[in-house]
Amino acid sequence: MKIKKENNCVARLVNVTKVYNGAGTETAALKDVSFQACAGEMVLLLGPSGSGKTTLLTLLAGLQQPSAGEVYIYGQKVNEYSSKELQKLRAGRIGFIFQTFYLLDSLTVLDNVLLVMKFAGVGRTEAQSRAFHFLDKFGVKHLIHTYPKALSQGEKQRVAVARALANGAEFIIADEPTGSLATNQGMTIVRFLQDSVKTEKRCVVIASHDERIAGYADRVLYLHDGMLGEHRRGQRPEI
Amino acid sequence: MIMFALKTLLAQHLRFILTVFGIALCVILMLFLLSIYKGVSVGSVEYVRESEADLWILQRHATNILRSTSILTTYHGNVIKKVKGVKSVAPVLFILASLKMEEGPATIYLTGFDPETGIGGPPALYKGRNLTENNQIILDRSFAAKYKIDIGDRIPVKDETLTVVGLSTGTNMFVIQYAFITLKKAHSIVGFPNIVSCYQVKAEPGTDPSDIANLIMSELSDIAVFDQKSFLANNIHEMESGLLPLLYVVACIGAVVLTAILSLILSVNVLERRKDYAIMKALGSPGSFIPGTVIQQALMLAGSGVTVALILFFPLTEVVEKLSPEVSVISSLIQIIIVIAGVGLISLISSFIPIRKLSNIYPLEVFR
Repeated sequence: MKIKKENNCVARLVNVTKVYNGAGTETAALKDVSFQACAGEMVLLLGPSGSGKTTLLTLLAGLQQPSAGEVYIYGQKVNEYSSKELQKLRAGRIGFIFQTFYLLDSLTVLDNVLLVMKFAGVGRTEAQSRAFHFLDKFGVKHLIHTYPKALSQGEKQRVAVARALANGAEFIIADEPTGSLATNQGMTIVRFLQDSVKTEKRCVVIASHDERIAGYADRVLYLHDGMLGEHRRGQRPEI
Repeated sequence: MIMFALKTLLAQHLRFILTVFGIALCVILMLFLLSIYKGVSVGSVEYVRESEADLWILQRHATNILRSTSILTTYHGNVIKKVKGVKSVAPVLFILASLKMEEGPATIYLTGFDPETGIGGPPALYKGRNLTENNQIILDRSFAAKYKIDIGDRIPVKDETLTVVGLSTGTNMFVIQYAFITLKKAHSIVGFPNIVSCYQVKAEPGTDPSDIANLIMSELSDIAVFDQKSFLANNIHEMESGLLPLLYVVACIGAVVLTAILSLILSVNVLERRKDYAIMKALGSPGSFIPGTVIQQALMLAGSGVTVALILFFPLTEVVEKLSPEVSVISSLIQIIIVIAGVGLISLISSFIPIRKLSNIYPLEVFR
């Protein structure tokens, strides 16, 4: 797969509008949004529920196409990727952290982390080495043979981060990563991500309504009714 | 990933066990059908297959001894004996006879033959000896077992009482069994001393049976002559035409039930694991990975079912044969291989519907 890269921007939205068609109704989740996320930065998308944050994330991940405008991932228009190329992109170059972590209950902690690397085509020996490294880094190596149901929320969170980072993705997408966690646990995950931005020059985009994350982000954007604006701490955002 | 498929199946223990037993029952049904078919086919045509005759002479238009009537006279035999190249002519008379057993009437396929030559007698003896006197009878082994008859017992046949001197094998046609008596006793029972059902002819060494057949047909116009190979084929065809359609129907029902069980369980598993599949799609699983896990589940279920079936089949066969000795069950490795291949194919077919359901699972679901 040929990946073009413009400067160090990992993902870019240009005048993107996303409209969902319902039963005779049209709902605009995003309205003429332009946005970019680059390597070595953590971008926080703040906004209330229904503001379009998740839609924006799914566009950045190439999981859906915009109704208007252009989405670039690693410098290439998303609609120029074949579905197989997008699958490979998500498997190898994009890491996901979901709100409830979504570990696969039928697999052990180790297998959950290995699975993504299997999707990315990483060899088993290399995959195990990486899995052990990241699980150790996040303090859950002793749980490798444990099933997710036996994990605490905090442990699940750490495994989820390990899974997102282990495949070597330069681009991490996190959807409400602190949403189902206690305060201190929630900030731990954000610190993990911040660390990966600083030390490994990854690009992290977090969608959340949790304003406490803003202190860790390099940029904070505010989404309201599908429109994007800059957010200044202590002030209501201007759209 | 095999572990994912396995864990998905084992997540619901009871469902897994019930499904495996359902599959096992279907597999046992198929194995039984094949084994019964084998047993019937051996029992129905072994008599012809094991015959030492080069030629079979029947009444014109008769093609087999299973389901066609043939009446010839001793005149035919005398003419055939004089044909050049004929070494021996063995007359055989078949009679459907009802025996008055304690359990009720039982029908047997009485076969009168000449014990002097042995031609036309039982293909193999399981126990006892051949006939030496007219008041003796050889019974099929399963018939004897069903009515708890053993060597030395005396049984009523029409107005006669005959002593059992032997038990034969390869003579169980499932719906009826062969029994062997002397030709003289057969004539006595039927009341006509000059008739036979067929003649089994042996050719002189070095002669061509087809030449002899032509010579016989030139002498007698009201007969049908078959060489051993074509006569065996006729009897096999007759047996199969009566039995195979029924077996096909039951086998098809078994296959449909098996497909339905597998398809239903796999579909339920897909729906229950909907979120997992959506996660995997979002995480970039290759296109073949998720369908692969469904096929793996199908093969695991089928494999488990076949294993249980094979463990249960042989003890069950013994039980069935004890309860119903007339059910002749002959199993072979090739049958087992055929069933395993069939179940494997069915498991792949049954994966089709659940795999189609997967296409309705979207990675966006994990973002809701």
